[in-house]
Amino acid sequence: MTAPAAKLSGPNWSLYAPFLPVIIVFLGSLVFAFAKSSSLERDMRIAVTQNMLWVVSQTQMELHALGHATALPDRNPDRIAQRFDLTISRLNLLRRGPQARYLADIGHLATVEDMTNALLALDPMVNGHNDQQHDALFALTDALHPQINRIANDVMITDWDRAAARLDAYRSTQQLIILAVVAAFVAALAVSGLLLWKQRQLHLAALQTLRTTKMLEQERDVALMYRDFAAIVSHQLRTPLSLIDSAMHRLVRQGDDVTAQDVLARRAIVTEAIGRLTRLSDTVLLLARLDNAQLEADFAPLSMQDAARAILTEAQANHPDRALRLSCADGPVTAMGDLHLVSHVLENLVSNAIKFSPPDRAVELRVFAQGKEVACAVTDQGPGIDPADQPHLFSRYYRGKTNKEGAGLGLALARSLAELQGGRIGFRTWQGKGSVFTLWLPRA
Amino acid sequence: MNTTPFLAAVFALSAGAVAAQDAILTVSGADSATTYSHDDLMALPQHRVATTTSVTDGVVAFDGFLIRALLGDDLPDDAVVVATALNDYQVEIPVTDFARYDVIGALSMDGETLSPRDKGPIWIVYPRDDHPELQDIRYDTRWVWQLVSLQVQ
Repeated sequence: MTAPAAKLSGPNWSLYAPFLPVIIVFLGSLVFAFAKSSSLERDMRIAVTQNMLWVVSQTQMELHALGHATALPDRNPDRIAQRFDLTISRLNLLRRGPQARYLADIGHLATVEDMTNALLALDPMVNGHNDQQHDALFALTDALHPQINRIANDVMITDWDRAAARLDAYRSTQQLIILAVVAAFVAALAVSGLLLWKQRQLHLAALQTLRTTKMLEQERDVALMYRDFAAIVSHQLRTPLSLIDSAMHRLVRQGDDVTAQDVLARRAIVTEAIGRLTRLSDTVLLLARLDNAQLEADFAPLSMQDAARAILTEAQANHPDRALRLSCADGPVTAMGDLHLVSHVLENLVSNAIKFSPPDRAVELRVFAQGKEVACAVTDQGPGIDPADQPHLFSRYYRGKTNKEGAGLGLALARSLAELQGGRIGFRTWQGKGSVFTLWLPRA
Repeated sequence: MNTTPFLAAVFALSAGAVAAQDAILTVSGADSATTYSHDDLMALPQHRVATTTSVTDGVVAFDGFLIRALLGDDLPDDAVVVATALNDYQVEIPVTDFARYDVIGALSMDGETLSPRDKGPIWIVYPRDDHPELQDIRYDTRWVWQLVSLQVQ
């Protein structure tokens, strides 16, 4: 069972497979270009040291100088001997090593051998110096001039032919090198491209994994939420329903003894219960639309005073014995928002304030503008919020220690709705004195 | 083989031997000149350079004196030596060449005394094979053959 383990721990060769051919092309081209450049460099160094034309012209010149020395009136033996030596020296140079091979190539080696032999037959060191000897030397140099001139001529042509051929060879080598470098460049580009492509694929795969994980988490959260949601909402539904139920039972039990007073009292209970049901279903509906991103705010400038006054009037109707007050800044305080959503938030804040403060204490609404925002602050004189509850105040389903009948949805929804409109909800609380919840909205 | 060049070579050698005391090299400075015969130069410490050359085939062994032995060692680094050949060929050689490389005035090649009918009597030889930088046309021009004078400037 070692094979699968080895496969897991060893390198995954298939990852490198697409790179192999391009890397071979890349390195191969570079090695080829390098080899060609090196041979070119060596060749140029050798080429430059060949100096055949100079050697031949030196021979030409010395032969001429020898003829000249024999033609001068004084016919100085030392000078003639020296010129003879120099001429022979140059001819010897031509007859040896690379020079000899060059001359053999162009068919002139034999000519040079013949020239040397003809001169050495008149060697002053053997024959001494006399007019006859000098005449013969002069005649010989004169006869040899056309031959050395022809050699110089052919050497020049050969040199140029060879130089041109060499340049051709350099050029084609250079072209090959350029091609190889271009191939290497293209291969390098291909490697980069492949790398980028691979990286992009890895990135996409990672992104996909992340997305899947996130979706799974979301699904799990939603499932959890709906489980809690169902439990809480059904509980919340049951309370007003049982209130209605018991009110009806009492009326039925009293039978014909029912007075108009009784009916009025029962109707108040039922109305209150139905109000709670309506608000609850409103909240649930809003939350559902919010969660499914179906809630679209209908933005328009709205008067915060009017919105607060409407909420207060409604609350006063439901709680006739509570002291509810509204104080407003001078002049209009206009927010940019959705009146329906704003009303929902304020209604929630006000009903919380009423619910969590003693019946003999007032609840106050204050509308004002500050900077680029407008606000409506709802102040109660309740016991304040327990420090342990404060961090979770806006969490969905969280219910504080004193909250016995809420669903834990109201503040969470209120904050979501405020944020949906580009606003927020702030709060401050003082133990034993009360709390302020403030809805902030962008100024219109 | 044709006998004429062979005979000539024999005579050339004997002629060289007869003239061994004649001055063949003049070394001059700003205000002095010293002449050297073949025997004088042979009496100097001999040094061997084995190298290829640009005008012969294969590795050749040269024997001769170190040029720096003739120049002394108190020359400034920027001094140049003008080397002149029998045919009036001239080239300037920086003295640093002689300090840096074992440049010799070769008197013989492969054991044979250099003749004026070849590249003798003196051929300036660089240790070309020991230093790659010397394998260059700019150094090849300093290989003066048939050297007759060294003038320090």
